[in-house]
Amino acid sequence: MMNYILRRFLYMIPLMILISILSFTVIKLQPGEFGSQYFGNPRVSPETIENLRARLGLDQPAYIQYLTWVKGIVTEGDFGYSFAYKRPVSELIWERLGWTVVVAGSTILFTWGLAIPIGIYSATHKYSIFDYVFTFIGFLGISVPNFFLALLLMYLVLSFGGTEVGGLFSQQYIGAPWSIAKFIDLLKHIWIPLIAIGTAGMAGVLRQMRGNLLDILGEQYVQTARAKGLNENVVIYKHAVRNAINPLISMFGMQLPKLISGTIISAIVLNLPTMGPFFYDALINQDQYLVMTFLMFSALMMLFGNLIADILLAVVDPRIRLD
Amino acid sequence: MKKFLSMTLIIFLVLGLSISAGAQDLEKKVVSDSLVDEAGEYGGEYVISLTSAPQTFNYYGAIDWSTFSIMTNVLDSLVEANPVTQEIEPGLAKDWEYSDDGTTVTLHLRKGVKWSDDEPFNADDVIFTFNNLTLNPNAEANEVSRYEIDGEMVEFTKIDDYTIEVNLPAPYGPFMKILSQAPIAPEHKLAQHLDPENPGAINEAWSTGTDLSEIVGTGPFTVDQYSVDQKLVLKRNPNSWRYDQEGNQLPYVDQLVYVFVQNSEVQLAQFQAGEIDHLQISGKDFPMLKQQEVDGADFKVLTGKPVNPTPSPTHLSFNFDVEDEELKEAFRSLEFREAMADLIDRDRIIDDIYNTLAIESGMPVVPTNEAFYNPEIEEYRRQFNIEKARGILDDLGYKDTDNDGIRELPDGEDFEFNLTTAVDSQDRVDIASLLKDNMEEVGLKVNLNLIKGSLVFDKALAGEFESMVMAFGNQPDPQFRKAIWQPGRALYYWHLSTMSEDGQPVMENMFDWEKEIFEMFEKGQVTMEHPERREYYDRWQLINAQKLPVIFITKGMDLYSVQDDVGNYFVNDDGVIVNINYTVFKK
Repeated sequence: MMNYILRRFLYMIPLMILISILSFTVIKLQPGEFGSQYFGNPRVSPETIENLRARLGLDQPAYIQYLTWVKGIVTEGDFGYSFAYKRPVSELIWERLGWTVVVAGSTILFTWGLAIPIGIYSATHKYSIFDYVFTFIGFLGISVPNFFLALLLMYLVLSFGGTEVGGLFSQQYIGAPWSIAKFIDLLKHIWIPLIAIGTAGMAGVLRQMRGNLLDILGEQYVQTARAKGLNENVVIYKHAVRNAINPLISMFGMQLPKLISGTIISAIVLNLPTMGPFFYDALINQDQYLVMTFLMFSALMMLFGNLIADILLAVVDPRIRLD
Repeated sequence: MKKFLSMTLIIFLVLGLSISAGAQDLEKKVVSDSLVDEAGEYGGEYVISLTSAPQTFNYYGAIDWSTFSIMTNVLDSLVEANPVTQEIEPGLAKDWEYSDDGTTVTLHLRKGVKWSDDEPFNADDVIFTFNNLTLNPNAEANEVSRYEIDGEMVEFTKIDDYTIEVNLPAPYGPFMKILSQAPIAPEHKLAQHLDPENPGAINEAWSTGTDLSEIVGTGPFTVDQYSVDQKLVLKRNPNSWRYDQEGNQLPYVDQLVYVFVQNSEVQLAQFQAGEIDHLQISGKDFPMLKQQEVDGADFKVLTGKPVNPTPSPTHLSFNFDVEDEELKEAFRSLEFREAMADLIDRDRIIDDIYNTLAIESGMPVVPTNEAFYNPEIEEYRRQFNIEKARGILDDLGYKDTDNDGIRELPDGEDFEFNLTTAVDSQDRVDIASLLKDNMEEVGLKVNLNLIKGSLVFDKALAGEFESMVMAFGNQPDPQFRKAIWQPGRALYYWHLSTMSEDGQPVMENMFDWEKEIFEMFEKGQVTMEHPERREYYDRWQLINAQKLPVIFITKGMDLYSVQDDVGNYFVNDDGVIVNINYTVFKK
């Protein structure tokens, strides 16, 4: 097991290098440079912008910029400097990590915590009203774009006279010390993001769970277990679900990076103070080191996620050997 | 004992005298009554929303609208332009004189002003700011180009603690105006960030991670609390030097709160929910909000004549240096541009695209800008007339020889060209679509090229376009944006051949009327007396109206919605909306 994990970590290194080169190339392929957004600004003369670009090293060839950046990471742990914020990139990402983890974490809990039980129930009560209703909701969740659902929910809340729309807190609780009231305010705000972002993922997990469980329930060893006289609950939870859940563990590994970078539009629409909208701004501004670091972070999350998924799978399923 | 007592008394006396002699009485400023509608009450918070969080708290550290908007509440300039009338009023300088030849300005600073941490403000702060920030080429948001006249820099010298002498290489008309856009920063807080080894170090001062107690100012508000990407709270500066007519210290509100909301729908929703106090709205949202106001909502919607010169009026431009020789000849002919101007249905644009909330623009000076607007241009406005346009194109010889509905150029090719505009501005996309339809009706083939806003600039400045619907950030004093309007400058993008590789004007490539515009700007630059200066800009606007370097379309009105409980937020007798952060109050 340890050998396996070590090997995986070693594989990550060339992979990350490749990803970084690819990302940097794509960024550089974008027309314009940091500073293009300033031409329309009445306070700025074109000469200032040229000077700025020279000072930031943007007049050097692309591969030099890339190598300088990599050197910074490897020798000093310096992920570069944000052109827009004049601060180290690592500080900026760290500041926003907290809420990103909170929103991502609660969304995962919401999605999986609901989808798995519903999937199980759906499979065991196949073709019941409940099954049809939840399948329908599931498909609705997949087909309606997250951000549109978010806008719809906000509109509905407003037309019923509610005021808790947008952001994670009402204006007066932002920055205020924690209290029960603030926590309740958070709950009042966070349910819209949870539903808007969570339902799409939920549908996928739900259908997978249902499908897998149905397959397993048709297997011969389940029939045997029933024939042995085992309690139905034991048959389902101890035997069937445990096997059905394997593919889902693989899916789990992919969830995290998606939650961070796949929800940018929804996060912008919902005005969440997470990394998504921040990344979007960095892209618009062509703040390249911020974009690169963010992309590398996402890639790392995905690689870790996959590793964790593989390890979990080995732990859960005795048939799988890792070496 | 007695001797000891008397010694102590003497010491106290001396100390007391020296302290009071050092302290200056504050020379207050009573704000103009153009900013006030009713007597204010103290208390409450005023919430404004911005679409993005500031990149830094250093006004000169980054070119960022949020930073500028926020920090102009915290820092003051030496003089200020009255937000309503645009006239220059005293700021941190209470008065000033010009020398006879107009090349020296002596500024007398306001005495008794203290920074929000109680350190006294004086000439050292002014000199520090100009030398290390405003005129520092390494400061990202520096103003070097504005203070350079005929290749020489303006110089600031300290005469004494409250007197500054400014030496201009030549008389400079817009000088007071540019001074009003240079806030003064505290030397005692920023000097430590200078680093002789790293000229760009000053940009890192006052970044968003700074301890807020380091950020001090003389303005009406100081920075109190920042929740990353969510909200910034400014609170009343106890050392504020602005007072109202009754002698009450301004501002009235206890806190000025900025919330950062990226998405405009959410902004609107939060305004309607009462979380934001005022909002600038678009013509599209106006009908819905006005209906809600009429139905009894707790807010009102105000329409005002456009005062803000930014953005400049939307205009249609043709590239005089376009690659195709035939198109080049067409675009360069005045008759062709007149025909194109005849295709602009302004009434329809104002009614449909702006929901009637726009006006015929100036060229480009905003009509409410009494200092610079030339009303004579109104006689030259061309009316929407498709037949006339058709006639002109016929007279120019562009006929449809193969009967495909498209006219041909002399070389037999279809008269076809691209119309570029920013995809992220709905107004401009709509205007471009309308223009395309009208142009196609008279037999021209037009391809819409919709690209990202900042990319539009890149293309414009590289001359890589054929025609464009665009608007620039603009300034009330045309001289400030001579980079756009004067031929031979970098932003005179529709005729880039008037500028050489190294940024010098190339007179031979200019049309006669362009040479005249060039002269007008050169003269306007060095004339100090306003009435004389004004004549030059009047002539420039007239030439714009007659020769159509670009065709100006419309300018949107100022549309604001505000909660009912906000006082001193009103439309004045001239139809201009007044809303100043330090004179509004909560009822």
